[in-house]
Amino acid sequence: MRVLIVEDERKLAQVLSSALKAEHYEVIVAPTGDDGFFRANAEVFDLVVLDLMLPGRSGLEILQTLRQHHIETPVLILTARDGVDDRVLGLDLGADDYLVKPFALPELLARIRALLRRGRPSEVFRLKTADLELDLVTRRAVRGERLLELTVREFELLEYLLRHQGHLVSREMLAREVWKEPRRATPLDNVIDVQITRLRKKVDGEGHARLIHTVRGVGFVLREGEP
Amino acid sequence: MTPWSAASIRVRLTAWYAVVLSLMLVVYATATFLAVRHEFLEQFDDQLHDDFENAEGFLTSTRDGQVAWSGDSRHDPDNDEDRGSDVWLASGEQVYRSGASASLPPVALASTTAQRRYESIVANGRSWRTLTGTALVGGRAVVLRVSRAETRLRTQLWEILVVLVLGLPVVVGLAGVGGYVLARRALTPIDHLASEARRITAERLHERLSVPNQHDEIGRLAAVINDTFARLESSFDQLRRFTADASHELRTPLSVIRGIGEAGLGETRTPAEYKEAMGSMLEEVDRLTNLVDTLLRLSHGDAGTVRLARSAFDVGQLTRDAVSSLGILAEERNQRVTVDAAEGLSVTADRLVLREAITNVVDNAIKYSPRASSIGIRVYADGDRVHVTVADQGPGIAAEDRQRIFDRFFRLDEARSRDHGGAGLGLAIAKWAVEVNGGRITVENAANGGSVFRIVLPTGTPTMTSDQGYETQRMREHT
Repeated sequence: MRVLIVEDERKLAQVLSSALKAEHYEVIVAPTGDDGFFRANAEVFDLVVLDLMLPGRSGLEILQTLRQHHIETPVLILTARDGVDDRVLGLDLGADDYLVKPFALPELLARIRALLRRGRPSEVFRLKTADLELDLVTRRAVRGERLLELTVREFELLEYLLRHQGHLVSREMLAREVWKEPRRATPLDNVIDVQITRLRKKVDGEGHARLIHTVRGVGFVLREGEP
Repeated sequence: MTPWSAASIRVRLTAWYAVVLSLMLVVYATATFLAVRHEFLEQFDDQLHDDFENAEGFLTSTRDGQVAWSGDSRHDPDNDEDRGSDVWLASGEQVYRSGASASLPPVALASTTAQRRYESIVANGRSWRTLTGTALVGGRAVVLRVSRAETRLRTQLWEILVVLVLGLPVVVGLAGVGGYVLARRALTPIDHLASEARRITAERLHERLSVPNQHDEIGRLAAVINDTFARLESSFDQLRRFTADASHELRTPLSVIRGIGEAGLGETRTPAEYKEAMGSMLEEVDRLTNLVDTLLRLSHGDAGTVRLARSAFDVGQLTRDAVSSLGILAEERNQRVTVDAAEGLSVTADRLVLREAITNVVDNAIKYSPRASSIGIRVYADGDRVHVTVADQGPGIAAEDRQRIFDRFFRLDEARSRDHGGAGLGLAIAKWAVEVNGGRITVENAANGGSVFRIVLPTGTPTMTSDQGYETQRMREHT
């Protein structure tokens, strides 16, 4: 999977590059708008991560030309401006998703996975890791031999963690995807923490190996073994 | 700016005063002059009349039946340049003529009747006034004309006119000076106010203008200005406090991050310790991010650039939603949260923004109520308003804190709140979110000692400015 990162901020480009490489993507960094424009038009990528504010050619310009040339590579926009205009304009011009800086890396990775998965049928009825199994049709969760009694919210939370198993999930992602709350709000962070604690008691309690881990300062991850 | 509007009020006042006074004086002088002239002319005619009577007395009939003039020295017309008398017989023969009247033309005897006739005549460059009539002397009718030169009368009138005309500018000038002095005296307090007000700068906002007499116009003006200063001062105070609080809140996580980084680099540690340090740094970054986000939203709110997506929805439903997502926090604290919401109470507002307000208020109640207490939430209609009240069994809020509790960064208990993770912006956001939707938020103390937060919302479509309407519409187009 080849990913083009068009980002002029050197440190951020480095961080993104190494995070993506750690996920086994092939990463090319374009440090200017012109360079990004040239590469995006000349080479073939599976995904473009595009900063909007660039020296030289702006991100929106690059995006516009790409789409005019019918290059349908998925594009994820990064913007520092939390204005509706930028986002709407970006999406109108054919961007596939956007993230507002400062964003959490786990979230960026999740979005990239989602964009790359797009178009492939991912219909699943059953999610499984270790001895934890979720039946999405009957809404039953089983750990080992034991049926877990979960509330609706707990089930949704566990489902989300399982869908992203092995990957970090931030509170912001949970707030938006599970609680459907578009804004970062302090009360909800507390709610999420309490909910995770309760879910963990039910899932990991009674001598089972720990599956739900808290990664301090980042969020949560569901995986076997150490986080 | 025209020169006229550039002139000071006192100059303009004086000029107006002078113009109005001049007009009035011109009218007055003209009227006076005309009245005096009329009076003089009448007197003059009376004198002529007297002359006529006198002259009649001087006419005598001689023994031979002739008419003779027997004027005494006192009335000898020859001695008077300005007075004359002429007497004719009906035949046209002139019986008597005084020296002064030599230049006057003779009268037309035919047209002379017993009716006396006044006439103005100009002869040899002199104006005369004459009175002509018939008189009977010893049974014979004679025509008698007495005349007076108008020279003196005209001179007198001319002098009066000169005095009036020359006096006018002098009077107007004097009045103008007086008016200017008066205007200056009347306006001096305003200059005082101006220089006093100029002295009060941002650094000396606590100072006030002196109010010598609070009942006159100047006093009222000063009071209004003082009132403005008071409001300005309180906004400045608020801003100062806000800036100080904001920088404090921003610096705390920054110094934590810095400290952790420096301590981590100080000596070699185990990977687990490094992970711990980085996680701790990230937590602070989260705090900073939240804070900056919230401050940005509040400043968007202040600038009035927030786009609202208004729709009509059930407030009771919204409240139950907000409470159910926070319910778990109350459960942790063994608190009981009850929602008593009337059905079908609809408001038109931005649902997400209003939900945030209710969430923040309920979260606040959960945080600050004791464990195992209960929190009662009611939604009810009151006329064309909908009330959402959140009553807790907490310690209540002192009267002096009740207004400030919605201020940014205001915290009742610094140490306690820090543990809850809030920066003291939750209620500020709630206040903004309610007010931008046309509502009001207040806090009162309940009879049992807890506090009751009350959100009052209009049920109808809130009046929105055209800007907001426009933004709302654009928002819909884009979503």
